[in-house]
Amino acid sequence: MTALARSLNALALLGICAVLGIAFYWQLARGELPCPLCLLQRAAFVGAGLGFMLNVRFGSSEAHYGVAIVSALVGVAVAARQVLLHIVPGTGSYGSALLGWHFYTWALVAFFLIALFAAGLLFIEGQFAEGVSDWRPTATAQVLGWVFVLFALGNAVSTLLECGFGPCPDNPTGYELLQK
Amino acid sequence: MLVLPMAVPFIVLVLAAIVAMLGLRRTAVWVWFLALAATVYVLQSHLTYPLKVVL
Repeated sequence: MTALARSLNALALLGICAVLGIAFYWQLARGELPCPLCLLQRAAFVGAGLGFMLNVRFGSSEAHYGVAIVSALVGVAVAARQVLLHIVPGTGSYGSALLGWHFYTWALVAFFLIALFAAGLLFIEGQFAEGVSDWRPTATAQVLGWVFVLFALGNAVSTLLECGFGPCPDNPTGYELLQK
Repeated sequence: MLVLPMAVPFIVLVLAAIVAMLGLRRTAVWVWFLALAATVYVLQSHLTYPLKVVL
């Protein structure tokens, strides 16, 4: 794996951790609970992050980029669905806006950029030459990987608390498991 | 129709990430496929539910 590919994959993973962190901040500090489609967008972010994390942990592989790109495309579908739900005037919106756009609009742009970025990384020559089995992750890669696992775990716990063992309500008002 | 809990895709994704960090690369990719299927299943439930209400 080339140093450029390794650095850019780590950068993408950091970016996805930052996105999940901002979403958590809005949820915990500002009390805005994510809707079902918002949660699915988070799942797609985690899936895309997993693809970059596999590259950072094991070295570059076409399959890892596939994980990132397919997850980002699923994210595009979910975010586009939510944008379309609110596109008709008078249908309102969900949650507050950040810099003038709602989170699902930002997510749509972010997923498109993630897919484009991952596809762009495939152009880096020589990154697949070493293969994946001989790759030894650095300490930084290990730390970054486990930080990502913590973000994914945080989302899983938060979703379980919010939705319980069933589907989430369209406009959640509290944590289902904490109210019982 | 089976209603999948919203937390399922996340739990499977966490499993995939942990498996990856433990060094099982191929298993992690297969587990990710399961998470992808769960995510798409939950999404289609959300897509079709309003249609059922209308119909």
